[in-house]
Amino acid sequence: MGVPCVTTKYLVSSMSKITLTNGKTVTKPFNKIWIVVAVVALLLYLFSLLIPFDSSTVKLEELKVILIKMFTPKGNRTWEDYFKYLLKLKNPLIDTLNMSFAGTIIGSLMALPLAVLAAKNIVKKPYIYIPARTIMNLFRTIPAMVLALIAVFFVGIGVLSGIIAITLFTFGIMSKMLYEVIETVDMNPFEALESTGATKTEAFRYAVLPQVTPVFVSYLIYIFEINVRSSTILGYVGAGGIGSVIKDNILYNYDRVGASIILMFVVVLSVQLLSSFLRRRLQ
Amino acid sequence: MSRADETLKRKPKRWIINLVFVVAMVVAIAFSFSGSSINWTRLRTIGLSLKVMFQGLADFKYDFLFGTGVYQFDEGVVYMALVTLAIAFIGTFIGAILAIPFGFLASENIVGKYVAKIGEAILVIIRVFPEIVLAIILVKGFGMNAVTGVLTIGLHSIGMLGKLFAEAIDNMDKSPLEALDAVGANAWQKIRYGIIPQVAADISSITLYRFDINVRSATVLGIVGAGGLGASLILAAENWNWDILGTILLAIVVMVLLVDVVSSRLRSKLV
Amino acid sequence: MIKFVDVSKTYPNGVKALHGVNLEIKDGEFVGIIGLSGAGKSTLLRSINKMISITSGKLYIDDVEISSIKGKELRMLRRGIGMIFQSFNLVKRMSVYNNVLTGRVAYHPTFKTVFGLFPKADKLMALESLDTMGILDKAFTRADQLSGGQQQRVALARALTQKPKLILADEPVASLDPITTVQVMDDFAKINRDFGITVIANMHHVDLALKYATRIIGIKEGEVVYDGDSKSIDDETLVQIYGRSLRHDEVLGE
Repeated sequence: MGVPCVTTKYLVSSMSKITLTNGKTVTKPFNKIWIVVAVVALLLYLFSLLIPFDSSTVKLEELKVILIKMFTPKGNRTWEDYFKYLLKLKNPLIDTLNMSFAGTIIGSLMALPLAVLAAKNIVKKPYIYIPARTIMNLFRTIPAMVLALIAVFFVGIGVLSGIIAITLFTFGIMSKMLYEVIETVDMNPFEALESTGATKTEAFRYAVLPQVTPVFVSYLIYIFEINVRSSTILGYVGAGGIGSVIKDNILYNYDRVGASIILMFVVVLSVQLLSSFLRRRLQ
Repeated sequence: MSRADETLKRKPKRWIINLVFVVAMVVAIAFSFSGSSINWTRLRTIGLSLKVMFQGLADFKYDFLFGTGVYQFDEGVVYMALVTLAIAFIGTFIGAILAIPFGFLASENIVGKYVAKIGEAILVIIRVFPEIVLAIILVKGFGMNAVTGVLTIGLHSIGMLGKLFAEAIDNMDKSPLEALDAVGANAWQKIRYGIIPQVAADISSITLYRFDINVRSATVLGIVGAGGLGASLILAAENWNWDILGTILLAIVVMVLLVDVVSSRLRSKLV
Repeated sequence: MIKFVDVSKTYPNGVKALHGVNLEIKDGEFVGIIGLSGAGKSTLLRSINKMISITSGKLYIDDVEISSIKGKELRMLRRGIGMIFQSFNLVKRMSVYNNVLTGRVAYHPTFKTVFGLFPKADKLMALESLDTMGILDKAFTRADQLSGGQQQRVALARALTQKPKLILADEPVASLDPITTVQVMDDFAKINRDFGITVIANMHHVDLALKYATRIIGIKEGEVVYDGDSKSIDDETLVQIYGRSLRHDEVLGE
C-alpha cells in the first residue's frame, strides 16, 4: 500500500497549478515522460557501472595504422597482388553463398510444417501449438554464430557446419514469421473447402497455401539476404566461407583481412540490392 | 462438351515451369553441399559428441550461474549476461542518439530528394557490414573489452535506426509544420514542436525493437573480444566444456526471450 | 430428403440457436429461410452439412442419421452438398478454374490432390460448370479480378462441380448490388429447375425469398414459426415471424 501512496503524493505535488488572470485555475497534469526519462537515466547509470572504461586501452593511433594496413598491400606486395588476392577469394565466396542458399531453402522448408502447427487458426489444440511455438522460440533466440559454434563441434570445421547453422537459424525465424502470416489469412475459403468435404490437409493446401505462398517467397528472399550477411562471418568460428579467411589472417596479414572485407561489402551490398529489387517486383 | 474441351487446351501449362523450377532448386542445393568436405571421423563420432553434450548439459553448473564457489561473482554467467545487457543497452542508446541526425539527413521531407539519397546511401553502407567485422576492427583501437562492444553496437545500430527514423519522419502528418510556418517558427522550432512530438513514439518503438536485436548481437561480440558472454562461449566451445556451454546457452535463451517479451509489451503500449 | 426431428442447438456460451425444430424437405424443393438476424437461420442451414453440430434431436439426410457421423463419412456427406457463402469464400489469388476444381477435392485421396493431380474428367467437369454459369471465358483469370456477381457465380460453379443433390446458400446475395442480386438468384432458380438440385437459402430480403423460393420457412428465436407455400404467405404472417413490420432494408424492391 505504501508505495502507490508515495507515488500519488509525488504526482500531486509535481502537478503545477496555473492561475489565469481572471482567477480561474488550471491544473497541468504530470507528464509521464519524466518517469521514462528517469528510468532510462537510472538504467544507463547502473549499466555503465558494469562497463569500466580504461583509457589506457584506447590506442586510436594503432586503429589508424591497422586500417591503413588493411586497405594497402603489405610489405613488398604490390597493389596488383592485393587485387589478385581478391580473385583468389572466389572459393570462400562460393562457400559463403552456398551456405546461405542451402541453409535458407532447407530451413524454410523445415519451417513450413512447424509454422502450421503453431498457427492457432489451423491447429486449435493448445497442446500442439504451444510446444511448436516453444521450439521456434528456442531456435530463434540462439544467434547463428552460436549455432555455428555448436555445429562445428558436431561435424567439424567446414561448409557443412555453416549450412547446419544457417538452416537452424532460418528454421527459427521463418517459422515465426510464417505462423504470423498463417494466422492472418482469410479463413473463409478454408470453411468453403471443408464444406465440400475436403480434409483439413486438403483445405489447407487449397485455401491457405495459395494465400501464404507469395509472402513465403518474399520472406525467403529477405532471409536469404540476412543469411548472406551473417554467413560471411560464420567462418570466424570454423564454419567456412569468407569469415575463415579473416580468421586465418587476422594476426599477420591485415591486407588480406582488408581484401576480404571489401569483397564482403560488395557481395552483401549486391545481394541486398537484388533482394529489395525482387521483393518490390513481387508486390 | 466441346467448349469445355477447347478451354482446357488453353490452360496455361504451369506444371512444366514448376517441375523445371523444382529440379533446378534440387540441383542447386546439391551443388551447395559439394563444397563441404565431409569430416567422416567427426561424423562417426557424432554419437559420442551427443553423449558428451548431454552429459555436460546434465552436469549443469549451478555455481557457475551466480559465481558462488569455484567462480567469483564477476566470472559467473549472470554477471556476464548483465554485462551483455549493458553493452546492448548503452550501445542502443548511443546508436539512437547518433541515428537521429542521420534520420533527418535521410528524410525526403526535411532535406529534399537528393540529399536524402546521399543520407540513405551512408546508412546502407553502415548496414552492410556484420557487427562482428566492425568489432574486429574496433578491438584494435579500443582493446579487448566491453567498451569496444558498446561502440560496435552503437555505430552499427545507426544503419537500421537511421533508415527507420527517416521513414517515420517521412510518414508523419505534414500539416502541423504548415501551421508552425504560419506562426513564424524557424527550422529548429519546427523540429521541436512539429516533428518531435509526432515521431517520438515511433522512434522509441523502433529503438526498443533494435535493443531486442542488439541483445542478440551482444551475446556473440565476445567471440572477437568485444565483451559480454561471447568470450566464455567460444572458450567453452573450443574446450568442449558442455557443462559451461549449456549454462551459457540457457542464459542466452532466457535473456533474449525476456528482452523480447518486455520489448514487445512496451512497444504495444507505445502505439 | 432432409428430416429434422426435434433438433436443438445450444452453443457453449449458452445461446440457444435452435429449439425443437421439426422439418421435412423433399428433393427438388427451393426453400427460403427468413427471419431476423440472430434468429437461428444460419445455424439451421449449417447443421445440415454439419458445419455446426446439433446438440440434441435427430437429423436425417436420405435416411442417414448424421449427428453421429464423423471423419470420412462426414466428408462423403459434405461432398454431396454444395455450399454458397455471403462473402463467396473463394481463394482470391487462385485462378477461377482452380477455385472451381476444388469442388472435386473430396472425390480423391489426399496424396493426389495435395499435388494438384485431378483426372481429365474432373477438369472438364469444372469447366462445364463454368460454362453453365456463363463465365467460361474467365476460367484462367484470377478470382479477385472478377466482380462480386461473377465471384458468386464462380462459387456456384464450384458447388455444381461437386455434383451435389443439394445446395445450401447462406445469405448468397447479401454482399451484391440489386441488379447482380437478381441475376444470381436467377442462376439459383436455373440450377434448381434444370438439374433438379434442392436449394435451401437463407435470405435477408423477404421479397426475394417470396419470389424465388417455392417454400418459406420462418424462424423466430430458434423455432419454426411458419412453414408453407411462398404464395400463401401474407403480411400478418411476416409480422409474426419478424415480431414487427418489415424494415426497408429487408425488402429489395423492384
